[in-house]
Amino acid sequence: MSSLVLFPPLSKETPDAEGVLATWFVSEGSTVVPDQLLAEVQVDKVAAEVPAPVAGVVHLLVAEEAVVRQGAPIARID
Amino acid sequence: MTIMEAPHATRRLTTSKAMVEAIAQEMERDPSVFYMGEDVGAYGGIFSSTTGLLEKFGPKRIIDTPISETAFIGLGIGAAVEGMRPIVELMFSDFMGVCLDQIYNHMAKIHFESGGNVKVPMVLTMAAGGGYSDGAQHSQCLWGTFAHLPGMKVVVPSSPADAKGLMTAAIRDDNPVVYVFHKGVMGLPWMVKNPRTVDEVPEDEYVVPIGRARVAREGSDVTVVTLSLSVHHALDVAEKLAPQGIEVEVIDLRSLVPLDREAILTSVGKTGRLVVVDEDYLSYGVSGEVVATVADVDPGLLVMPPQRVAVPDVPIPYAHDLEYAVLPRQDRIEKAIHSITTR
Repeated sequence: MSSLVLFPPLSKETPDAEGVLATWFVSEGSTVVPDQLLAEVQVDKVAAEVPAPVAGVVHLLVAEEAVVRQGAPIARID
Repeated sequence: MTIMEAPHATRRLTTSKAMVEAIAQEMERDPSVFYMGEDVGAYGGIFSSTTGLLEKFGPKRIIDTPISETAFIGLGIGAAVEGMRPIVELMFSDFMGVCLDQIYNHMAKIHFESGGNVKVPMVLTMAAGGGYSDGAQHSQCLWGTFAHLPGMKVVVPSSPADAKGLMTAAIRDDNPVVYVFHKGVMGLPWMVKNPRTVDEVPEDEYVVPIGRARVAREGSDVTVVTLSLSVHHALDVAEKLAPQGIEVEVIDLRSLVPLDREAILTSVGKTGRLVVVDEDYLSYGVSGEVVATVADVDPGLLVMPPQRVAVPDVPIPYAHDLEYAVLPRQDRIEKAIHSITTR
């Protein structure tokens, strides 16, 4: 069963705000454990860490520096 | 129920997160460690030097101070003298001017003036460096000035793993240690992207010994002795020149005090050619000290005159193009290497 990792909601005022995938801390196909740091994302000047919700093999769905809408999937963990 | 072994995960961190992890691990281990400075609490440090620590340790151990550097650095010295292990952040190295008396006349001298009876086990952290148009008063390195003044150790990490190990070493050291982090090595999402600021960092606590340089890349043709962000630039150049048949050895000093002179001499003894890259000012500083290290012992090690790539003796410009022109970036490093390797 695979699990999607979503861009976290950082701006409450604008639910469809766009942010940037600032840094990937894992690479495509790497094995992760729950709560392992996957990425750091940014909306305006607010940055947030994205931890792995489950264990598994991670597949990156967006590139570093990519502009992503809040709530959109950024990775899949199989 | 099946017991499964946890999958091996290679854990990568930015330099700032690695530094914070070292502080958190030491604060958990030793109740006498605390962190104090401007915007280190809720803000998490303006260059992410303390992100998350307030939530973990509370306002009694992560202390936001007023803008009064002389007072709170003096407070840290007093706490250290009384047996605590304070980490005190001077937000920018550029701000040393308002509080230098506490640093070089007190923090650095109390141990000597007490005949060795009083220890000052304090860490003074600060951000340094330019490259993002912050002007002449917020872009300096100045690590050479701290290294020039006796009585304090000076560490200047370039990588996430070293940032963690050197922070642990600095906190545990019974001497005052100045810990300078270049903003460009921290891996901050809002700075210029630099892939070398994210790397594997061991999860357990460990120490990187203060005073030992690291061979960041082995090479046989020319030695580049450098530190902090300039290590990243030197590695970029080394990777570019390798296909042209020039093998560059990159020495990351990691500490300025003590200086690993042996590592410099060993490498120059092998290559016979020396380029020193330093983002501090050219004159009376680190680059001159490194060249003197070779000249003092055996100038005959050098088959070509040494090259120094540093910030010329001018205040750092605000305008992007002018700032890049004075910083020791890849273009200037490459030119210096070519000037002593091309026949």
